[in-house]
Amino acid sequence: MMLFVFVGVLSRLSFLEAQSKQKTGAQPQSRVQELKTKVEELKKQRDRLRAEIFVHQVTSEILLSCLLLGIHDFFLFILGGYDVIKTNQDKCLCFSLATAYQGDILETYNIEISVSQPLRIIRHNIPPFIPVMTLAEETDMQKNIRRFLDTLSLHLNAFTMRKQQLKLVKEQHLSVEVLETNALCSLLVLMLTEPNTNTALLCSLDYSDHTRGLPTRVTIQCEGTLDLSGSPQWQKNTALLQNTPVHEALQIMRKTGQII
Amino acid sequence: MDDIAQSLLKRLVRRIPRQMLQPTLEKWGRLQKAQLESMDFTLSKYALTEKLLSICEENDWSTKHITELELLSYIIDNPNVGMWHAYQLLDPEDDAHTVELMQFKEQFKSHLTELIQNVSIKIKKHTDEAVWIRLAWGESFSQPNHFKPTYVVHYLQSPYVFMTSLKSKHRPLLDQALVLATRCQSIKDANLSGRKLIAIRDLLMKQYEQVFPSKFPRHIPENNENARNPLIEQEQSALSSNRLQMACEAFGGGKLPEIQSAVYRLKTKFRGHAKNMAQRKEPFKCVVKFSSTNLLESLRSCASSGIASTPVTPLLSSIPLKGRNYFVITDNGPGSSQTLHQQK
Repeated sequence: MMLFVFVGVLSRLSFLEAQSKQKTGAQPQSRVQELKTKVEELKKQRDRLRAEIFVHQVTSEILLSCLLLGIHDFFLFILGGYDVIKTNQDKCLCFSLATAYQGDILETYNIEISVSQPLRIIRHNIPPFIPVMTLAEETDMQKNIRRFLDTLSLHLNAFTMRKQQLKLVKEQHLSVEVLETNALCSLLVLMLTEPNTNTALLCSLDYSDHTRGLPTRVTIQCEGTLDLSGSPQWQKNTALLQNTPVHEALQIMRKTGQII
Repeated sequence: MDDIAQSLLKRLVRRIPRQMLQPTLEKWGRLQKAQLESMDFTLSKYALTEKLLSICEENDWSTKHITELELLSYIIDNPNVGMWHAYQLLDPEDDAHTVELMQFKEQFKSHLTELIQNVSIKIKKHTDEAVWIRLAWGESFSQPNHFKPTYVVHYLQSPYVFMTSLKSKHRPLLDQALVLATRCQSIKDANLSGRKLIAIRDLLMKQYEQVFPSKFPRHIPENNENARNPLIEQEQSALSSNRLQMACEAFGGGKLPEIQSAVYRLKTKFRGHAKNMAQRKEPFKCVVKFSSTNLLESLRSCASSGIASTPVTPLLSSIPLKGRNYFVITDNGPGSSQTLHQQK
């Protein structure tokens, strides 16, 4: 019984997400708000149901049997909510991995996998700096496709998070200079200015854990005679940058007069 | 300013399109404000060259500065310099993904100069994360030849490298320096080439709109004028939209990367009715080349209009799928099914 409820909830959710992507411009605000609350409710329901499902090892045999028996919707159940669709090719499935941050749905990535033994990735639109093949090997995709998809989704969501944070920093903090970035958004170097003394501080954020949206290491360096980096206030700021998304941390620092 | 620098500057001004001259010089940032303002960009290129030469004398610039300007103009405008070839780095070490710009620059310069002392290297990173390298090669007793530079483009943390104007004798040196600087174990030919860097980059790094099967049919923009005229009804519209969907799934939606050709080197046995040919045991070698101003667009139209059968044959759909346009096709086994083999 739970299976069908779950499937129904997920189908409704995907339908709403697809609809929201297609609709352009002129929508009465109340309708948009209605749909947004509906999406939130369904998301909560989905998460509750997910937590109650006992996850088995999803092997290629299970997927193949589902495919042959024609119970495609079963995928949604056992794969924990990824959008799956059968492709025109024989025994091939296309998985959609959506990414979101702070309530906004951002990129959706797709990956086509051939379900016959052995499982094989046919194509995907994931950028090359996210090592899909390495992740497939590390999570033993052949034995458990669910784990592979979960890990991939984690990497993709974290990447989208970091990318979005960088975009917001550039939009919301024009007085902060972005000195260095990279394609994976795992490195960020900013130039901050202290208002009272006009000292420049170099802030390096290292995101070496690619599954997280928060930095693993924050270093603040100060050139010149006045070394503020050691002061208790800036030590607090370092901790703030380590525990809060960078654009929000900069917001707080600006409000309290730490930076321009 | 020596002769080489002067010739380089003259050639450069000829090459840069008229409308790009001012923005390029501004972006370069080396001219002083007064000097930039004194240049009248409505004059002929010859006059502008003369003016620029005198400014260079004023600032005491050398070949070094002119090559910097050349690199910048290539980055901004991607001129038609000839063929770009794509290569792929293989087997990255564990720390390969932490290689950042400064480290790459230092390592690349030190490794390359160890292998060949007489080389001029310029490296610059563009805002789209592309690292551009300009190399001028010198022989044992002569200066680096700045008139035939090699350009290399690499995106850090991706395995792809794009090169143009590289002589085969310099290739092993460049390969070695790249492999060591990026902390990988080897580099191979990606079998993709084209005149436009952006096109082959987009194809290989999948930066164009890929179409995946979806439960909710996408709105695929119809280029067909008939579709907009309500008086014309299309027979078999379901079939034609199905063809369009399959064509887009194979090649992509929207604007496609501009590849100019695809080459298939066939080493398969002759299949046909000519008796004496069919008796030959050796493979029938031939080369099939497709050429177009925009090959992928043409192939997609072939598929969507029904000229090529759908679902699209893997021989054609491999071009965007595998990101290559050079294939060697051999027979595989007694069942004589054809497979695509990688070169080398």
